[in-house]
Amino acid sequence: MAAAARPLVSVQPLPASLNDMATDHVTTVALPDVMKASIRPDIVNFVHSNISKNSRQPYAVSKKAGHQTSAESWGTGRAVSRIPRVSGGGTHRAGQGAFGNMCRGGRMFAPTKTWRRWHRKVNVNQKRYAVVSAIAASSIPSLVMARGHRVESVPEMPLVISDSAESIEKTSTAIKVLKEIGAYPDAEKAKDSHAIRPGKGKNEEQEAFRNIPGVEVANVERLNLLKLAPGGHLGRFVIWTKSAIEKLDSIYGSFEKCSEKKKGYVLPRSKMVNADLARIINSDEVQSVVKPIKKEIKRASLKKNPLKNLNVMLKLNPYAKTARRMALLAEAERVKSKKEKLDKKRKPVSKEELAAAKAAGKAWYKTMISDSDYTEFDNFTKWLGVSQ
Amino acid sequence: MSCFDPVKWDPSWHRPCSSIHEELPGNCLTGPGKRPARNQGHSYLGMGEEVMVAVPESVLKKQKREEEWEMAKKQELAATKKKNAENRKLIFNRAKQYAKEYEEQGKQLVQLKREARLKGGFYVDPEAKLLFIIRIRGINAMHPKTRSILQLLRLRQIFNGVFLKVNKATVNMLHRVEPYVTFGYPNLKSVRELIYKRGFGKLTQQRIPLTDNSIIEQGLGKHGIICVEDLIHEIITVGPHFKEANNFLWPFQLKAPLGGLKKKRNHYVEGGDAGNRENYINELIRRMN
Repeated sequence: MAAAARPLVSVQPLPASLNDMATDHVTTVALPDVMKASIRPDIVNFVHSNISKNSRQPYAVSKKAGHQTSAESWGTGRAVSRIPRVSGGGTHRAGQGAFGNMCRGGRMFAPTKTWRRWHRKVNVNQKRYAVVSAIAASSIPSLVMARGHRVESVPEMPLVISDSAESIEKTSTAIKVLKEIGAYPDAEKAKDSHAIRPGKGKNEEQEAFRNIPGVEVANVERLNLLKLAPGGHLGRFVIWTKSAIEKLDSIYGSFEKCSEKKKGYVLPRSKMVNADLARIINSDEVQSVVKPIKKEIKRASLKKNPLKNLNVMLKLNPYAKTARRMALLAEAERVKSKKEKLDKKRKPVSKEELAAAKAAGKAWYKTMISDSDYTEFDNFTKWLGVSQ
Repeated sequence: MSCFDPVKWDPSWHRPCSSIHEELPGNCLTGPGKRPARNQGHSYLGMGEEVMVAVPESVLKKQKREEEWEMAKKQELAATKKKNAENRKLIFNRAKQYAKEYEEQGKQLVQLKREARLKGGFYVDPEAKLLFIIRIRGINAMHPKTRSILQLLRLRQIFNGVFLKVNKATVNMLHRVEPYVTFGYPNLKSVRELIYKRGFGKLTQQRIPLTDNSIIEQGLGKHGIICVEDLIHEIITVGPHFKEANNFLWPFQLKAPLGGLKKKRNHYVEGGDAGNRENYINELIRRMN
């Protein structure tokens, strides 16, 4: 991203009654690159939970606790448990159990030690990543509101006010300033009203603002993650002064340019520059190479037996219809002709037919007995063995 | 329609309480040089006033692309329909031709037999070219070599059946696995019924039912077999592409024979079931199909 593409943030002027700078009206500052860094709540959470352990003070029980007795077990055979018991006599304490964690007046289980590992080391780069994320998150109104700040009446995020705020000496004027810029509702939120005001951290400004509950002042060169993301939650409401926000660029650098204050440090790059998936998918570049959606999904249908189901058979073998039709017709024909034949046989023969049949029989016999007329003599010879 | 609806410019994309003017890269497409009429759509407010709404160029491009896809799809559909109609005719004629062929064969056989009887001799059928093998024994306690041979024959499960070409190699294989299988010479009815009722094809290592001729065309189109009747004809006449056609057919998974087997442990000639039972395989297929 070119530096020229940095959006401009307008600096809120303070009321003229406060200052003598009536010259500048609405100046603008280019948004520092830090505000565009990737916001990683996971890193912030991790770093915060580790860093918040660093200001702990050790605690432990006395190492002598529970052992300042010369107790010894009575052993078996005395109808009492074998726990070590206090020796001696003449007081309640005699014969009582000692040493064990279960005993009254005994030492606790695993007495706490001072050499427990209280502090956590976090990689410098991770710590910087977290701070950078927190700063970026503080410029996004939805995150700030989600954290619970009342910033509806704030004109712009990130909120920048002119440097004259540094010369405020009275808390009452400080409150007036907050009211002017619409930040007071947040300050009124008694319990959770925390707003930081990073400035250049001169004493005057600090004095004026620090009595307002929930407001902290910080030096922009030393921004604390524990303040920027309290509880590991991003989006604390931050009010910047003009020079503070201008300094951010030199403190953290940009995505290409190294930071001046932090040796060799470059702002972290995000995994996805454009994380708007819907937009990417619907973009022309993607849609132009995408294949058309398959609306009709073919599913396997139940297999039907073609030998029983005619339609399925026809799908596979269109000739089957005519073949079956022909078979049926042939069958009908056969049935018909058989019936006719039977009927004919069962019908009593009429006189003419009888006479014709008899005459035909006689004629054949005649041909049979006359050798030369017999046309089928070959067959005859075969099964009779006669020769002509 | 795309997976997502085309993106419309949404005023809520502006940050609340912010006066930052951002330059979104998308806007570069619709530079000032374009004619406003092309990108503008009309939307009407409640009062009936016309408001010019800019239609994003990506939406227009998407619409155009979808039109092209639709047209291509329509053309493809028309082409496949035409091809299908032609194929149908071809299949019909082929099936008719095969039916005639089978009838002729049958008639010829009868005629030859009658002729031989007439002359006092006998008609000897030519040796069968096609076998159908059914595995009749289970998988336990088997010699590894015979197990391998059965695997080669694709008989991995009891009552699995496959067709097989007859030649010296296959006959010797069968000899070694005789106690585990029964086989014989299937007739046309057996082949037809097996393929129609229990025919599954192998497409990309998957067992696909033969519900449509397109499946057969996909698998065996390059050998000229495009329908079930072609496949049946190839199998039964053991044509030039028998190997491919037979391999395309997944091994038949038959049901246990109704009426039972006689005695698995014995050879058919001993009154059992194993080994070559020539034409009586058809009766067994009727009971197992």
